[in-house]
Amino acid sequence: MSVIKTEKIVKIYNSKHLPVKALKGVDIEIEKGEFTAIVGPSGSGKTTLLNIIGGLDKPTEGKVFIDNEEITQLTDSKLIDFRLKNIGFVFQSYNLIPVLTAKENVSFIMLLQKKSQKEMDQRAEELLNEVGLSDKFNVRPNKLSGGQQQRVAVARALASRPKFILADEPTANLDTESAFNLLDIMARLNKEENITLIFSTHDQRVIERARRVITLVDGEVSSDEHFDR
Amino acid sequence: MKTLIKISWRNVWRNKARSIVIILATGFGLWGGIFATALMSGMIQQQFDSSIRNQVSHIQIHNPEFVKEKQAEYSIHNAKQITDFIENNEKVFSYAERTLVSGMLATASMTSGVELYGIYKSQEEITTSFKDNLIEGDYFESISRNPVIIGKSLADKMNISIGNRIILTFQDLNGDITSAAFRVCGIYQTSNSMNDGRNVFVKNTDLAALIGSDDIVNEIAILLHNIDNVNAFSEELNSRFSGNEVRTWYHISPDLSFMNEFSGMALMILLIIILFALAFGLLNTMLMTIFERTRELGVLMSVGMSKLRVFTMILLETSFLVVIGSVFGTIIGALTVALTSRRGIDLSGFGAEAMSEFGFDSVIYPTLDNMFYLNLAILVLITAILSAVYPARKALKLNPADAVRKE
Ligand SMILES: Nc1ncnc2c1ncn2[C@@H]1O[C@H](COP(=O)(O)OP(=O)(O)O)[C@@H](O)[C@H]1O
Ligand SMILES: [Mg+2]
Repeated sequence: MSVIKTEKIVKIYNSKHLPVKALKGVDIEIEKGEFTAIVGPSGSGKTTLLNIIGGLDKPTEGKVFIDNEEITQLTDSKLIDFRLKNIGFVFQSYNLIPVLTAKENVSFIMLLQKKSQKEMDQRAEELLNEVGLSDKFNVRPNKLSGGQQQRVAVARALASRPKFILADEPTANLDTESAFNLLDIMARLNKEENITLIFSTHDQRVIERARRVITLVDGEVSSDEHFDR
Repeated sequence: MKTLIKISWRNVWRNKARSIVIILATGFGLWGGIFATALMSGMIQQQFDSSIRNQVSHIQIHNPEFVKEKQAEYSIHNAKQITDFIENNEKVFSYAERTLVSGMLATASMTSGVELYGIYKSQEEITTSFKDNLIEGDYFESISRNPVIIGKSLADKMNISIGNRIILTFQDLNGDITSAAFRVCGIYQTSNSMNDGRNVFVKNTDLAALIGSDDIVNEIAILLHNIDNVNAFSEELNSRFSGNEVRTWYHISPDLSFMNEFSGMALMILLIIILFALAFGLLNTMLMTIFERTRELGVLMSVGMSKLRVFTMILLETSFLVVIGSVFGTIIGALTVALTSRRGIDLSGFGAEAMSEFGFDSVIYPTLDNMFYLNLAILVLITAILSAVYPARKALKLNPADAVRKE
């Protein structure tokens, strides 16, 4: 059974001058434990697709199923709750709450899930250790490098024990070393913890870390390849 | 909630300059509001007290005919029984009986129309502030035969000084014109210079001899222990002693009660203006904050922060700004009021001379009751919440997908 299944997703943005057809009927299916890259040039619809899969936006046509539940039916407030419980997000930049420390940022998700203080502390520290930030618990985002911020964001995304993590161009603002470092962490989490990860990128350097590569061109899937690595 | 408070609190200090500006604006706005209110209340209160103490008292009794036409012959019915009754009534602090005739005052070179009050020294002394208002001479003491006390503005106008002889002319009870010589033993001054120019005081016994009767009482002025009892006590007087007109201070001087209400309204308007300014300042600040943090709010909503929480966070941020500002403003406001209420503020030189024509003192003692601070606090908080609602709603309308795309 697939974790994510989309059926003929069409997204048309009604911009003032002319409508933009960002997705033209996308069908994809992602199984548990996959490590998938959505690749394609800028403007090909990667962000749009991830937003729709993540329930941040609604498709103009088509359906999205998460674990067989059709999320395109949910109301906005139900969607917020659904995201909180099921999906971890990592955005391109400015992911973190600037006024909270690294540990508080990671705990924040669990706080919204009403976990106990003890559990929050324990898990936040464990996750920050896992992404290699054991010495940055009490540091605020503006004192962290871009790569470190993205790793905190990954830790935060993991905190709620989501069904999968969506990362929209997580390496776009990182130097090569940080980008590889982040991808290594993601690959390890995928292998060792069996975490389902989907990230978008147009950065050739990091594509080869993924075990499945879906290529989008002009809002359509042009290829879908599996690699054994 | 604890974390929400923590986040909101820290958010307040992200843009320190902007937060401090709005906090100071709130603080100084309230300071001004508090001080202006205290100043005006003090002025009104003093004016009220001095009107009550100088002329109106709490209750006055007259013959109804006398109210229409000030003729000495219209004496109060059963004046003796009335004074016996009020003498022994525990609600009454004091009272003063007066005989009142209109007449002319003449010096060697000038004349002026006056109201002549025949008063009893000791009654007047405790019932009104008349004796305290003496600025020259004494209280019917230095001159034994026909002493008279006149107001400063009259003395100035007619060039009269202590010890001068003046002639008072008026009608006696038979309608005959009588004149008598009096000697000025004192000069008084109240904040109402119009009255000072007209009201002239002599001993009741001297006046009684001249008008030809010693049981004429045209006016009984009563001061109660508690002003709140005026209605009950005037009704009691009315039911016991018919034929007289018993009036309370607000009947005698409707402008006093009008002034009380009007000043309350004026202060209300002032406060509303200040609160409006506050509301727009806050609205602007919060809209700017939300505009700048669109992306961040988008991330928060994406990762699962509920609308209620986002709303609460923005409400909290606004409330923090306002609470700090108002605490600051109220403290300096209350301090200013406390300081000035003891020393008073001397407004002479700021047109206080002109104001004294209307009965205002030139030294003002600002005053505020504690209820005002409480009401103000509630009003400010309501304003804060109302002005946060629009920006907070705006934040809720953000579509997380659009918000996170924003650079
Ligand atoms: N809010 C929007 N309004 C109008 N057009 C949009 C909006 N968001 C994206 N688009 C358009 O949709 C297309 C796909 O955009 P996007 O999903 O951001 O692509 P990618 O993430 O691959 O760069 C682009 O042509 C883009 O200009
Ligand atoms: Mg994109």
